[in-house]
Amino acid sequence: MKKWWTKHSTLLVTLLLLLPGFLTFFGLFFYPFVTTVLLSLRPEGQKTGWTLQHYITFVSEPHYREVVVLTFTLAIATTLLSIFLSIPLSLILRRKLRGHRFFRTMILVPLVVPGMIAALGLLLIYGNRGWFNLFLRDVLPFINGPLRINYTVQGLILFYVWLYFPYTCLTTLSALEGLDPGIEEAAEVSGANRWKVLRHIVLPLIMPGVLAGSVLTFMASFGAFSIPLIAGGNFRPLAVEVYKQIEIFIPGRWSMGSAMAVMMGLMQVLFLSVYMRFFRTERIQ
Amino acid sequence: MIELQNVTKRYGSLVANDCVNLQIWRGELLTLLGPSGCGKTTALRCITGHQRPDEGRVFIDGQDVTDVPTYRRELGMVFQNFALFPHMTVYQNVEFPLMIRSLAREKRREMVRDALRLIRMEGLEGRYPRQLSGGQQQRVGLARALVYRPKVLLLDEPLSNLDAKLREEMRFEIRELVSQLRMTAVYVTHDQSEALALSDRVAIMNAGRLQQVGTPREIYEQPANLFIAGFIGLSDFFEGQVVAVEGDRAQVAVRGLELAVPARAGMSSGQPVTLFIRPNDVVLMDESADAAENAFQGRVDKVTYLGDIVDYRVLLANDLELRVQTDGRKLYSPGSSIQVCLPAERCHVLAQ
Amino acid sequence: MMWDTLRRYVRGLWNGRFILAYTLLVSLSLFIITPFLLILVKSLGKEWFGYRWLPPKVTLDWYKWAFEIARVPEVMKNTLIIAALAILMSTTIGICSGWAFGRRHLPGKEALMSIVLLPRMIPPITYALGVAQIFYALKLVDTHFGVALAHVSICAPFAILVLSSTFQSLDDRVLEAAGVCGASPVRTFFHVTLPMIMPGILSSMIFTFSTSYNELTLTLMTYGPDTITLPVRTYLAVGLGYWEVTSAMSVILVIPSFLILILIQRRVAPEKLLGGFKGL
Repeated sequence: MKKWWTKHSTLLVTLLLLLPGFLTFFGLFFYPFVTTVLLSLRPEGQKTGWTLQHYITFVSEPHYREVVVLTFTLAIATTLLSIFLSIPLSLILRRKLRGHRFFRTMILVPLVVPGMIAALGLLLIYGNRGWFNLFLRDVLPFINGPLRINYTVQGLILFYVWLYFPYTCLTTLSALEGLDPGIEEAAEVSGANRWKVLRHIVLPLIMPGVLAGSVLTFMASFGAFSIPLIAGGNFRPLAVEVYKQIEIFIPGRWSMGSAMAVMMGLMQVLFLSVYMRFFRTERIQ
Repeated sequence: MIELQNVTKRYGSLVANDCVNLQIWRGELLTLLGPSGCGKTTALRCITGHQRPDEGRVFIDGQDVTDVPTYRRELGMVFQNFALFPHMTVYQNVEFPLMIRSLAREKRREMVRDALRLIRMEGLEGRYPRQLSGGQQQRVGLARALVYRPKVLLLDEPLSNLDAKLREEMRFEIRELVSQLRMTAVYVTHDQSEALALSDRVAIMNAGRLQQVGTPREIYEQPANLFIAGFIGLSDFFEGQVVAVEGDRAQVAVRGLELAVPARAGMSSGQPVTLFIRPNDVVLMDESADAAENAFQGRVDKVTYLGDIVDYRVLLANDLELRVQTDGRKLYSPGSSIQVCLPAERCHVLAQ
Repeated sequence: MMWDTLRRYVRGLWNGRFILAYTLLVSLSLFIITPFLLILVKSLGKEWFGYRWLPPKVTLDWYKWAFEIARVPEVMKNTLIIAALAILMSTTIGICSGWAFGRRHLPGKEALMSIVLLPRMIPPITYALGVAQIFYALKLVDTHFGVALAHVSICAPFAILVLSSTFQSLDDRVLEAAGVCGASPVRTFFHVTLPMIMPGILSSMIFTFSTSYNELTLTLMTYGPDTITLPVRTYLAVGLGYWEVTSAMSVILVIPSFLILILIQRRVAPEKLLGGFKGL
């Protein structure tokens, strides 16, 4: 017995160390997720019986389809805008101009702040009587009338970008700084001007980093909850819609909400795996 | 002082140390030399206690320490990547072994000061390792290893992470320190010039086995086998066959040419042997010079001028290519015909 | 002809790129910081109905309201207790798992890492409903421990990530050196190992705190009258429509986050924070 123990002690200790992590994962994530799935298969408000009704409703009723389309639109638009914002930003920041540390810290702000507060502040700023419209009125008077930003889809995208672009920006910056400067120098010596170096050398090389960050941005905006909850107005993306199922309806439609949550989770997992497959093959090249 | 008795260590199917028997005398600096993967680091780690030999015993100062854990073996060790404690200053790093041994603070301060003086780093006590250069870090590592005057000092390729010039300086410093403190030291390296320069004795290892132990001179001039001959210094190798043995001389035929070489015990006619000679032992003479023993006609093929030496590739009549190095006082140009003399005493014979 | 002017324009732009760059950076900073400035101003203003840049009167009434009627101190106490519990649990999990990931040879480490990060990638709403159901059954709703436990599901992954990295970068040779210097394994742990992993543990604690402190989704599912956290309280206030009070509470809520930000950026370069995700 003792011999078996000493021989396998390392393995046992390792397993013991992994136990809390496993328990957490299974107890607080996997099991709840399974519970959600089970719940989604039950008829509303009952504890027995199985039904796929909720899923069928979700797939067939146009209202829910609109919700899904909205969610995807928001997420894709946010991701694209984040990429377009992050790349020039990172290119500027990597030159380490004066005060670059301050600006880099600025980028972190949306990450550490609760989304709800950000939503509040953004609503105040971009309201009809907020600072932004005041700015337009006083400084750029040729732009007509107060711009309606709050409670529109465009406004929501703006808010999303505010909250989620740092994910893309940080990984892009990290990728840029990880580039070997010798490569760019070699390109310049070969006769490429700065623009060509950028287009043919730098951008392709940082693409993995950019994509990694944009996945985070996409996932986060797809699952955005606190911002649309407060600032979405009549537009309710998936996460908020799920919440509304159990808050607005009395009694709460737990089963329907669960079905939607499951669909949401599946869509994200699907997206992630597609991305991983695509990304992995890219890398092998 | 240190003895490895029949030490064998395996990693799975790989035998890192195969029945190693080694004795290290008190007060000497012995180097474990060999190519990567030869087992020298494993042997060192058996001495320190970081590895337990599967078979065999380890003795330090007469005591069997095979079952004694590392921290009770009273050793000092210098690591290849310095292994300084990053969260401690230079002073605290050197003080650490003393603190562990619960010495009085005054005594500790005195000993740390001494150690820092030895390595000439007074004034830098407050610095952190990340603020020091590679050479400085290594010296701190040395001080930490020596501060409590251990029985044995072990050095695991301590200079590999330093640049070439620094390496040479540190070589002398280490040698000086060890002599000054009359320590027993075991040095591990794959750099043969380092081994020859530093050591009292050298132990060559290859593929887990101890090949030869001797003074640098013995290793260089009388290598015990083909591997050592090839590993240490430069050599020209020839395969040949013994033709005749007469007294203290033997005649060996190498591709048609006959060479006279010193006879070794057990040589008999017809025996296949390997000869080698060091390129700087080969003598080049003008074509017209008087014939000497083992002198052959040859032609200079390539010349490389290296300043203090000239490196020649020379072709003999039987298509044998030789590498020759001379001091450059007389230069031969490519294509010129010369006489190549391989003095018999400088020819070494290895049985196959 | 037109190409010439265009080219000259672009070149002018390029030469002025310094100014352009700074303009972009400053606009971005404004874009990011103005919401908070406005919240701050709003929380201090009285009778401000827009159409002006600044409120006509300054007042601390809203903060008084927040402290006395919305009972912010009590809410803050809840938030901090829950955060402390979450930190405790997550850090323990992180140390155990991090040790295993970072120092032991595990097959499929990369895959395991992705799985560990899954709760962070998928929005909590997907399994929050399940958590709510389970907690109702286990009577964990409206307890500090229960809410903290819910937080652990999103705090632990990051703790594991940071601490695996910390343990992985622990140089074995330094620990061996300590042994050679005469330190027994126990003393090596306290004098050498622990100080070396402290920065990683602190880093993980900071992130865990930040995550738990700001958490809304899971908290909404598992809270009750005794465990109202600051984010939940603020959300309830938004629902009521009192923008000024909500602003005051938001300011209070946000201060620790900014403090932590300043703390972080002094120690670590911001880009490195997401370095772990490059493995994606």
